Amino acid sequence: MKSYKKRAGGKTGAIVALCVVLVITIALGVLGVTGLSLPPKGLYKLMPWLPTTNAENWPSTLSLGLDLRGGMYVEYSGKAPEGSTANFDELLEGTMSIIRTRLTDKGYTEANVQKIGTDGIRVEIPDVQDDTVLDLIGAAAKLEFMNPSGEVFMTGEMVKTATYFYSDGDHQIAFTLTDEGAKLFGDVTAANIGRTIAIYLDGEQLIAPTVQSAITGGSGVINGLGSAERATTIAAKIQSGALPLELTQQKVDKVSATLGQDALSSSVKAALIGILLIMVLMILRYRLNGLVASWALTLYTILLFLFIALFRIQMTLPGLAGVVLGIGMAVDANVIIFERFNEEVRKGRSVKAAVRAGFKNAMSAILDANVTTLIAAVVLLFYGTGSIQGFARTLLLGVVVSMFSAILVTRFLMNCFVNAGATKISLYTKVKAEKEVEA
Amino acid sequence: MEIKNRSRICLIISAAIIVIALVLTIFGHGINLGIDFEGGLSMQYDLKKTVEKADVEGVLNGMSVSSYTVTVQGSSNNEINVRIKDVAKDDIQKVQDDFEAGILEKYPEAVSIGDVNYVGPVAGATLVKNAIISVLLAAVLMLVYIAIRFDLNSGLSAVFGLLHDVLIMLSFMVIFRSVIQMNSSFIAAALTIVGYSINNTIVIFDRIRENAKKQPNAAREEVTNISIKESLGRTICTTATTLITIVALCILGVASIREFALPIIVGILSGVYSANMINGYVWAFLEEKRRMRKAAKA
Repeated sequence: MKSYKKRAGGKTGAIVALCVVLVITIALGVLGVTGLSLPPKGLYKLMPWLPTTNAENWPSTLSLGLDLRGGMYVEYSGKAPEGSTANFDELLEGTMSIIRTRLTDKGYTEANVQKIGTDGIRVEIPDVQDDTVLDLIGAAAKLEFMNPSGEVFMTGEMVKTATYFYSDGDHQIAFTLTDEGAKLFGDVTAANIGRTIAIYLDGEQLIAPTVQSAITGGSGVINGLGSAERATTIAAKIQSGALPLELTQQKVDKVSATLGQDALSSSVKAALIGILLIMVLMILRYRLNGLVASWALTLYTILLFLFIALFRIQMTLPGLAGVVLGIGMAVDANVIIFERFNEEVRKGRSVKAAVRAGFKNAMSAILDANVTTLIAAVVLLFYGTGSIQGFARTLLLGVVVSMFSAILVTRFLMNCFVNAGATKISLYTKVKAEKEVEA
Repeated sequence: MEIKNRSRICLIISAAIIVIALVLTIFGHGINLGIDFEGGLSMQYDLKKTVEKADVEGVLNGMSVSSYTVTVQGSSNNEINVRIKDVAKDDIQKVQDDFEAGILEKYPEAVSIGDVNYVGPVAGATLVKNAIISVLLAAVLMLVYIAIRFDLNSGLSAVFGLLHDVLIMLSFMVIFRSVIQMNSSFIAAALTIVGYSINNTIVIFDRIRENAKKQPNAAREEVTNISIKESLGRTICTTATTLITIVALCILGVASIREFALPIIVGILSGVYSANMINGYVWAFLEEKRRMRKAAKA
């Protein structure tokens, strides 16, 4: 039985190490639950196995997707106005920036505007189910030109185009006006040389250029805009009596808040039951190793949720599914190791030797299996849209953390247990029954 | 326990399932496309008492909508799901308001439950296009990786198994069209399987790689038999643990989760099946062919 050499302190050292890992596990768990002194609620109640099935208690640091929180999202496809020669991406950016400003101005500060595919825009507004907000997004902007005495003399409909250009080391905007606009603008500029004409969008001053000469031909230039970005944005805004792009609504989805909470609490419950059953099954089949796996799995889940909170990955339903699959991957890695371990023990090796050989033999399978899954997750991250990306993100994170947990945590714990004196084969697997099968 | 090569029968069974699905599709009973793919407006209501379908249809007929479907569901047939095709985007709110006004006359306690969805006709096409690109791209990248880490024939047979699993999932969606609708979550599910079911194949191929090195002259089929047998403990344990969580999700989850979990369960089962009964033998077959070619040259 004493087939391995040990320093006098080996056993004590291993027990101390086990205690340290236990303390770390508990500390991380506590950090997850109470959040120590991190922001308002901290990482409050992150752990799915704690009674956190009430979605209201989910942490403020964990950002929840619309499907778990309620709200609505809209997807648009954009089309450049006929005859426009401007760079499409710039128009798209301009449109998105206008939508963003409008939503923020109206108090929807958590609204999220993102690009989808090459020509799509997705707008997500949490906690809102009202269609009127859609009018806000698609509405024509109110563009007003004000003379120095503060009277509106011209509006956005009279602007034909406004485009950014760069020349003589200066960022500028060239604009053209309709005939009616040209006449109005000519009169006002002629009367106000040296004074400023302010341009307002939705009541907010965009820019107030000084008139250098009368602009009568229906086209002119605004110079001295400082940066390309500012000039592009302002050009996009002036151009729009409407938005720079013609938007077609492709999809509207409203999720009620209760449905979101139902979805969240039921999936958390399912994950909780799943994890507990897995632990029972693992301990029944792999005994002490099963305990190791359960421990590693606990750490894995805590770490995964901490990372999700830290990287501010938005949790969505598919995202939760990604977590569940990540757990599956983590368990699988452990199973592969333990099966290899059992094989080695059956061949008559000592427990200590079997741990080493088990890991060595299992590593190539674990690596290859995880890399292939990573490949799928990365492809999804690049080609997926919206919710599918959410899934890819948690899966990616899950696979990486599961490799860490299987390769480092499980091995460390197994070695500690062996060094602490748990070297009886019956602690790990059925010995006699195995012989009967072989006979 | 003896493991034998039953891949021929298994391939025939799989092919039969796929052909049945194909025939059903050709005769117009294809996949039950959900709103994400079909486009239109979808609404759900709890009417608080047993629904007469005719009442709901009456309300819809009184409105100027062209084509609709009404599904009655819920524990005491008290819930309805209404889908209306060809709603112009400007009319969404009006259609919704009109319908609610109409239904409240007959069922005063009716409340809206669940999502209200509107999908334009273009969104679905983009979704499918991206999904197909993703699957093919993932398959090619995996093929390359496996070909490097194992050998080309392993890569080919693993990807063969992968496509098999996706086709079986699609066939399931056709055959069980009355139970399950295909929405964008199916794409996520299919891609999950692409990433996950290949694990089973990889673990077995890892054994094969190991055993083939030990016995370079043994028949490849025999090596496959042994490897599958040696991996069986892991296969059973992993499949059980994975299914536990997904089945729990499927039982406890809301409808949108079930739409995701059910195809995954099918995919996982199909993945275990193809990894143990088909893929290894496809590899063995390809390897023997290669050997024969080599022998013929020598």
